[in-house]
Amino acid sequence: MIKVQNLSKRFADNLVLKSINFEVSAGEIVVIIGPSGTGKSTLLRCLNYLEAPSAGCIEIGTVKVAAENATAKQITELRKQSSFVFQNYSLFANKTALQNVAESLITVCKEPKSSALKHAQDILRQVGLAEKMDQYPSQLSGGQQQRVGIARAMAAKGDVILFDEPTSALDPEWVDEVLAVMKLLAQQKQTMIVVTHEMQFAREVADRVIFMEGGHIVEQGTAKQIFENPQQLRTKKFIARSTKSYISAFDSCML
Amino acid sequence: MQTPLDFQYIVELLPILFNYLGVTMEMAFLGFFFALILALIIALVRVFKLPVLHQLAGLFISFFRGTPLLVQLFLLYYGLPQLLPVLAGMDAFSAAVIGLSLHFSAYMAESIRAAILSIDKSQVEACFSIGMTRLQAMRRIILPQASRVAMPSLMNYFIDMIKSTSLAFTLGVAEIMAKAQMEAASTFKFFESFLAVALIYWAVVVFFTRIQHLLEARLNKAY
Repeated sequence: MIKVQNLSKRFADNLVLKSINFEVSAGEIVVIIGPSGTGKSTLLRCLNYLEAPSAGCIEIGTVKVAAENATAKQITELRKQSSFVFQNYSLFANKTALQNVAESLITVCKEPKSSALKHAQDILRQVGLAEKMDQYPSQLSGGQQQRVGIARAMAAKGDVILFDEPTSALDPEWVDEVLAVMKLLAQQKQTMIVVTHEMQFAREVADRVIFMEGGHIVEQGTAKQIFENPQQLRTKKFIARSTKSYISAFDSCML
Repeated sequence: MQTPLDFQYIVELLPILFNYLGVTMEMAFLGFFFALILALIIALVRVFKLPVLHQLAGLFISFFRGTPLLVQLFLLYYGLPQLLPVLAGMDAFSAAVIGLSLHFSAYMAESIRAAILSIDKSQVEACFSIGMTRLQAMRRIILPQASRVAMPSLMNYFIDMIKSTSLAFTLGVAEIMAKAQMEAASTFKFFESFLAVALIYWAVVVFFTRIQHLLEARLNKAY
């Protein structure tokens, strides 16, 4: 359903993505992990064309866009195939939670306002925000804002939802409620690509884990393969480092 | 030897001048209305960097901010009809409204543009992410937020415009300043006449400043 071919992205002299190739099938949950600054977020942003790739080809659903000759119309069509959950929520500040979720239905899908609002209410109920529909983003906690962000992405009728470190900006107390909503989506077989540092989430939910470093996909496989039996040295080091905090916590308990 | 200050005269003159306030306010409202539309168009041309139009807008802004309003009014009313005879039929009131609109649109375009640019880029990205076009994003998300940012400075321009309508008397528009000038010339009570007209301008500006604060408070409460 998603096919990325030879995708490269260059910022000035810095080649951030080096000819990335991968595919995602419908219903699959892919988690991308890796050190900071290795192009994970850039890759995700390219899929939604929030960054224009320097080279390569992106295909989502029925829309295929090549970096060399992308038109504004193609880009808008490609964007409709996916929706994006931002690290900093990026909710529409001038709209209530309900209006945020209904916006794509009204403006992009051209649904009548009444049915769009009804649809949006249903989605907000699913993410547990029935009580907060008429609040503005500034009146919501970080966790609530991010759940509205996910609801907004669910409403946009794309095939896939892209999550860009959805819990990184959250206070620890709000992380679980956001992960719970994502797990709910995973159970519903929503196609998802998630960039995250939440290793526990990756282990539990991912159908496939992609490890990226230095603008390359270094290794990919099931969560079990990547976390318990990584093949590449770089993957091993990263997994060891990112799970060390658990081990040291365990050590200090033992002492 | 004249009496130092004729209060009685001021009190009598105020209601007479007040009758001409309508013309002044009509010019201000019409001028502001057209200036706002023009300013919005110019601001969007500049934000979207539309080829050719973008450069023309820059030239427009440079000219209308770089020359005095009085010179622009004279150029428009006394000068242009010599060049374009079609404009010879233009009355002083229309010329004043057009002049004020052009002049203030240049300033207002810049403050609208600044307000649009002040909205965080992530808001546009969020629009794009759900498949909205640039124009849809502008209309539904960016302009509503920018209008709140631009409101105080736009209101200031409106207040400034009310005062600037006084220049229309140099074109022969029978507005409040023209009446004060006539009264002063016929009675030789210059101080009283111009004090009276100053008081009326002041009262009007205080009134609209109050409205400005109420509007801002209301807009800020929304979200």
